[in-house]
Formats: sequence, C-alpha cells, structure tokens
Amino acid sequence: VRDRADTKSFLERGGFGLPALIVLAIAAFDVLPAARLLLTALAPKGVLDAGPMLFALVSRAAVNAGRASLETAFFSTLLALPLGTVMALVLGITDIRRRHVASFLFVLSLMISPQVVALAFLHLAGPASPILITLGLAPEPGSANPMLGRGGIILILGLHHAPLVYVVMSAGLKRIPLAVIEAARVDGAIPLRIVTDHLLPLMRPHLMSAGLLAFVAGIGNFGIPALLGTPVNYLTLPVLIYRRLSSFGTGMLGDVAALGLFVAALAIVCVAASQVLARRGDVLLDEDAPLHPFWRLGCTRTAAEIFVSAVIALTLLLPLLSLFASALVPSYGMPLNLSTITLDHFVEVVARQDVTVRAFTNSLVYAGAAACLLAGLAIPMAYGLVRLMGPSRILATALLEISYVLPGIVLAIACILLLLKPLPVIGISLYGTPWIIVFAYLARFQPVVLKPVLAGMAQIDMAQEEAAALDGAHLARRLKDIILPSLLPAAVAGGLIAFLLAFSELTVSTLLWSAGTETIGVVLYSLEEAGLASQASAVAIVIVAVVTLAMLALDALGRHLPAGTLPWHCPAEGAALSVREADRRGLEPESSGLAEARPALST
Amino acid sequence: VSTKRILLSLLAALLPALAQAQGISGNLVLYTSQPNTDAQQTVDAFKAKYPEVSISFVRDGTPKILAKLSAEFEAGQPQADVLLIADSVTMEGLKKEGRLLAHEKADVSAYPAGTHDPQKFWFSTKLITTGIVYNTKAAFKPTSWLDLTKPEVKGQLVMPSPLASGAALIHAATLTGNLDGGWKYYEELKDNDAMAGGGNGDVLKQVAGGQKLYGIIVDYMPIREKAKGAPVEFVFPKEGVSAVTEPVAILKGTKNPEAARAFVDFLLSKEGQELALKQGYIAAHPAVALPVGYPPRDQIRVMGFDAAKALADETRNKAAFAEIFGQ
Repeated sequence: VRDRADTKSFLERGGFGLPALIVLAIAAFDVLPAARLLLTALAPKGVLDAGPMLFALVSRAAVNAGRASLETAFFSTLLALPLGTVMALVLGITDIRRRHVASFLFVLSLMISPQVVALAFLHLAGPASPILITLGLAPEPGSANPMLGRGGIILILGLHHAPLVYVVMSAGLKRIPLAVIEAARVDGAIPLRIVTDHLLPLMRPHLMSAGLLAFVAGIGNFGIPALLGTPVNYLTLPVLIYRRLSSFGTGMLGDVAALGLFVAALAIVCVAASQVLARRGDVLLDEDAPLHPFWRLGCTRTAAEIFVSAVIALTLLLPLLSLFASALVPSYGMPLNLSTITLDHFVEVVARQDVTVRAFTNSLVYAGAAACLLAGLAIPMAYGLVRLMGPSRILATALLEISYVLPGIVLAIACILLLLKPLPVIGISLYGTPWIIVFAYLARFQPVVLKPVLAGMAQIDMAQEEAAALDGAHLARRLKDIILPSLLPAAVAGGLIAFLLAFSELTVSTLLWSAGTETIGVVLYSLEEAGLASQASAVAIVIVAVVTLAMLALDALGRHLPAGTLPWHCPAEGAALSVREADRRGLEPESSGLAEARPALST
Repeated sequence: VSTKRILLSLLAALLPALAQAQGISGNLVLYTSQPNTDAQQTVDAFKAKYPEVSISFVRDGTPKILAKLSAEFEAGQPQADVLLIADSVTMEGLKKEGRLLAHEKADVSAYPAGTHDPQKFWFSTKLITTGIVYNTKAAFKPTSWLDLTKPEVKGQLVMPSPLASGAALIHAATLTGNLDGGWKYYEELKDNDAMAGGGNGDVLKQVAGGQKLYGIIVDYMPIREKAKGAPVEFVFPKEGVSAVTEPVAILKGTKNPEAARAFVDFLLSKEGQELALKQGYIAAHPAVALPVGYPPRDQIRVMGFDAAKALADETRNKAAFAEIFGQ
C-alpha cells in the first residue's frame, strides 16, 4: 500500500475548478437548505426567538405525534432487528442454496417504496380484503382492519426495514476475519457455538448500528404511517407535518419547520452514532481473509430454506398477491373469481386517465434526469474529492450527506423555504415548476450515486495517470481517457440506484408537486385517499414492475462494479448509507469482490 | 334578393358560433375537488366541444387545493386558470382577497338568485348535500343526526375531516349552527369513538368495505355506488342536510381568460348540467332532472347556515375540529 503522506503525487496538488464544483454542490444541495430550515425554525421573524418553536413542539397534536413516531420506530426496530439479523446469518454463513436469488428478492422488498408496501398490506386484511373475501375468510363487517393504527404501522415498518438490517449485518459479517472462525473450529466448537460465542459478540456494534438505522428510517418514514395511520387518526410527526402544510398552507411553514428540525436532529444524531459504531465494529485487517459460509447445515438445510422462503413470501410475495387481487376486482370489497376478474383498472391508469399517465411520465423524467445529472457529476466530484481535496474531503463527504440523512418531508420543507421566493438574479421562483422536484432529488440522492463512484475512484492506480500527465495529457484529457472508462460502470450503477429510489418516492414530492408535475408516488397516495383502492393497486403494480426491471438491470451490471455497490450482491452498507464508509472501504485493497457473493465453502 | 346574399347572411349568422369554438385554444389548468374519474369526464366533455384547448386538471380536497394555491400565490406563480371546488364560502374568501376574475357575460338567466355571486365572480354548478350513509348489513338504521351519538353507533362512525374536505367544513359550520349545543355535538361524536380521517372517498371506502358501519358523507358517492351494487344506503336525516354547491370561478392570474370563460359557460350550459346529472349529482339548473336514487328536489330539506360567519370562522372551525379529534 502506498504510504500517501510521504509520496504525495503532483497530481494531488493544485487545480481549482473541481474543488469549486464540490463546494458549490455542497452549498446548494446541503448547507443552504439546512441553514434555511434552521433559520426559519429558530428565528421565524428574523430575530433569534426559540419561543414559537417551543410552542409548536408542545402543542397537543405535536406531543401525540412525537410519541407515535417514537413508539412505532422503536417497536418496529425490535421486529426488524432479529428478522434481518437471522436472514443475514442464514444467507451469510450457512450452505443454503440459491442465496443470491433470496438476497435479491429480500432487498427488492426494501426497494419497493413504503407507500406501495403499506397499500398492499392494507388490502391484505380487514373485512373488504379481496383475498380474504375470495377465500371466504373475511371478518365480519364492522370489524376494524387490523393493519390500521399503531399495531399495523409497527408490523409493516418492521417487515419493511428488516432488509435494511440485513444489508448492514451482511456487510458487518463480511468484515469478520475468517481466522476467528477457524480458531474456534480448531478448538472443536460446533457452528452454533461459534455463532453465539464468537460471531455475535463481534457483531454487537453492527447490531446497534443496524438498530439505529432502522430506528431513524422508522422515524422518517412517511408512506407507511400516512396510509395506515391517517384513516384512524394515528399521526406520526412526518404525517402531522404533511397534514399541517397541505391543509393550512404555507402560513404554517414556521411551525412545521420547528417540527421538522426536531425530526432532523433526531435522525442526524442516530445516523452519526450508527456510523461510529459500524466503524468500531470493524475488526478485519487488510491482510485477513474475510468470513465466508462455514456452516454445513446438513439435514436442517431444508428447514433453513423454508424459513428464508417464508420470510420472502411474507415481505414480498404476499403483498404482491394482495395488490394483484385488489387491482383485478371491479370494486374494492368484491371477491376475485373468473366472473369478476377485470383489467379495467390497469387500462384506466395506464391509458385512460391523463393524471396517471402524466405522473408516470413525470416520475420517469424527473428521476431519470436527476439520476443522469448525478451520474455525470459524480465522476468529476469523486476525482476532486479523492485527488484534490486533501484532508478537507472528510468534512466534504460528511456535509454531502446532510440532505440524505434528513427525513424526506423535512428536506421538502427546506426546499420550499429556499425556493418559494423568486431566485435572486434570474427573478423567477422554482416553486410550482418541475425544477424544485429535480432539485430535491439531486440534493437527496447525491450521496447514493457518489458512493460507488468514490469506491471505484479509490481503486484507480495513480501510476497510469502520472504517466499520462508526463506525456502531456491535461486534466480534462486524463479524466476522459483514464478516469471516465474506469468509473463509468460505477456511475451508471449509482445513477440506477438513484433512479430506483426517486422513481416511486412520495415523501419529497408530496409537498413539492403542483399542476402538471405530479409524481407517481403522489398519484398513488391521492387515489388511495380518494377511495379508489383498485386503481391505486394497479398503479402500485406498475411501480413494482419498473423497480424490479431497474434492479435486474443493476444485477446484470453487477460484475463490472466495485465490490459493495449492490447491497444484495456483496452486501456493504447498502443503498441507504454512507459515502464515508464506501470511501474508506474503497481505499483498501480490493477484496475478492463479487466472488464473495457466491463463496466456496470451506470444509 | 340574390342567393348569394342569402348565403352570405347565413354565413354571417353562423360565423360567431364557429368562431366561438374555433378561436378558443391554448392551455387551461383546472384545480378541482371533484373525484378523479368525475374530473376526467368533465374535462373530456369540455375537450369534445373545444378540441383546440388543451386542458389538464389537478385534484385534491378543497382545503388542500387552497393551501397549494396560497403557496403558488406566494411564489408569484399561480398555475390554475379555473377553480371548481366544494363550497362558495371559500370562493367568497378568494373574491375578498381579489384573486378572482368576474365573468360578466355569463348567462345565469336560468338560475335563481343566490346560486351565483351577484357580481358574477363565482357560479354554483351543483347541489351536494351531506347526510348519513350506512352499510346495509348494519342492524341499526339512523334517521337523525342525533342517532349518531347513540350506543348502537359506538366505534362504528367515520366522517371526513374539514382539514381535508371543503364539504365537511361547511357541514361542521352548518351543524354547529343548527343543533343545540354547537360544538358539543362533535364532542359527543368523539366520545362515541367516531373517527375523522381523510376525505369523503375514504368514508365511502370504509363503509362500503364494511370496516365501519356508519359514515357522514356527501350524497352522490353512496347513491351512485348503491346503483352499482355496493352494500350502502344514504339517509337524508330528519333535521335536514347541509349543502355545498360546487362553484366554479376564474382566477385573476389566468393566462387564458377566453378558454376559462368558455369552461365556465360550458358548466352552466344545459349540456354541462346534464353531464352533472349523468354523473349522479343534483345539477344546479332547476330544470334538470334529479338522478335516480334521490327524493324529489322539493323534498330535500337543506339546513340554513350563515355564510359570512362561516367565512370569518373558517380557521377557528378547523382548529376546533382538529382540537376535538386530535389532528
């Protein structure tokens, strides 16, 4: 490994353009929105005054919503943590078959946006459930839908975030040195004892890190409590913020900024703690061989496979079935059989209704544009960060994450605050135009795209570039001929992940859309809210299809990517997480990469 | 008189009509609280008549549409040309703020006074009453608003929230003004474990789906769903119903006043009013028949309410409701 302090390359000095680009991106996408939010919450009338903020925080509705947020996030974490951990262990250390398919499907259930998942489970239960009616199992009319309210939100949040825990824990497992296991084996320990006595103690920081992330994801989630809580008036903070702003208008911006700041502070503290923990849990040294499956299950293998299939059926298959059932019946509440089955709702949403067709186009265009722009930006930014920023890049990568760590609804408020008034110089307001949504997507998903590109950048040997420079190639030429070809797959993958997340998101656009700029997430929510359950389900199925296609495209791209880009391939920190983490991982000599995903079993 | 002159005068007589349909083009954006399918039908019918106009719509509950509009006013970028929302009280508010454009040439000869603004800033298009819906599997059949506070209904009532529905806001203003005790009635509903969630569509879904047995709802939803076979029944309570009139108005900032006026004219025309009938609404035009499932026009008893007071109290009413139901 090159000792960087001693042999700083001449390539790492000088250059003004790229660092300026990075500073500009940080200012526009992260610092300005966050600062604007702080300003409105702490100094609503231009003078520092925490009074209104405290007042907003202690109102009855805010206190209730705060409690609802904390309890759903906490209890759902208690559900997600064991489920995700067991999945990570079964898929990571045992000789179970078809682990790649299982991993792909489990992570797919995380990539399907929360409001789609909530919609699916909502239609799965209750007296009007098309599946239950068809099976003759529907409860008496007048009985409540058990998915509505606190219990339902906890269950669905827990199931939805189990893959998040899985991704973090799998990444953690990959960082356990194989030597630990081998030493225990030499001592004659059986695999179960190795797990309980050696593996789990080593994994404790990862476990806490995963728990904190699931907790934050629960606090910031909008889609699930919006669909499952609003009908029974059980509101969490993001839903309360949405409701205040959407029903009372921008006059409430000061109040909701205060609530938003509270949620944001909670999220930032938890994510920071989680990253510190994840780092502390890292015991793998560069020269150590990483852990790979060591547990031959023998006759219990079938049982383990049934368990994995059951978890995937619960998190993915069952909700999909429910969506199909409610999209294919003429009206929500009717049984599904050969005489009632209809494709009308699909025709209605993909061909007849202007709004849904427009929303599909909008989401494709906005998410696509943001993804392309980010992928394009990522290459020069990654180059600048790695080669030209020196030690300040640690601060830069941390700042770049602000908009990703902020709950979506809070970022949306920050964008409204920032962009509602006409912009200086050009004198027009971006509010009410598609640009405000694209801007929010750029801010939010920048770290997601940057992560794999940074990992790739750190693997590029400087020698080749130095040779080119000595040959007289300028920076632009070197970027084009050497850096671009090596980083392109990672940039494309980053862009695809951003597209995947942005395409069906609801949290950000729910406050930013206006006439003609509806996103598909917004339309799904509005159809369900208007009581058009079957059409909402049809939209949801189309969304799932698009997301699955994007995931398959990513999977196909897999072998050209830096290790750890795809959470289901070689689980690293996951789509959800940290630039710094990827950055740091990337600086280490490349481990066996994709081979880790389908490791040879040691006997 | 030569045939040429006859032809010419015929042409001259036809021209204005032709010019009217042909000269009107451009974009038109409608903000409406009509359910998606109805809004699409309205827009399609207008498009059939004015194919040159490219019209699109945004649908949400009236309070949310208004919140969106107010943010757009603030950004200096109002997107809407025409508003078709639940109630005239909200329209009065917008008129007072100077946000509306009068349509002086609108033909209101067929409509009684009171169904439109005297200065022609807004025009009612329908009569939408709010009453009670129940699932036909329910044993107890309510006939009065007070029945909803009875133990038979405990935990089984769902209603729209004034934070999401304009009709629900007028309903609250009407009911608290007409029933003894005012807001105490809503306290009693809350004590009876009534649920106030989203809009009217949500109420329909919950009662038709059997998740709740009783609901407070606008008339046309359960009446037309019943016709399609849904297990619901709508009740006009004996004290009377509250009503909104789904008025239409042109926004002052419109970039296409001609098309906007054409849209208003279309809704007020016999054709537009018959579309309302076909969709299952009580049309505002007194000569248009009522859809199947409604009692005769003169038997529908609408409770009176003080529009000026409702406008002045709008925020207070929303807050009172939000406080009782913890929203």
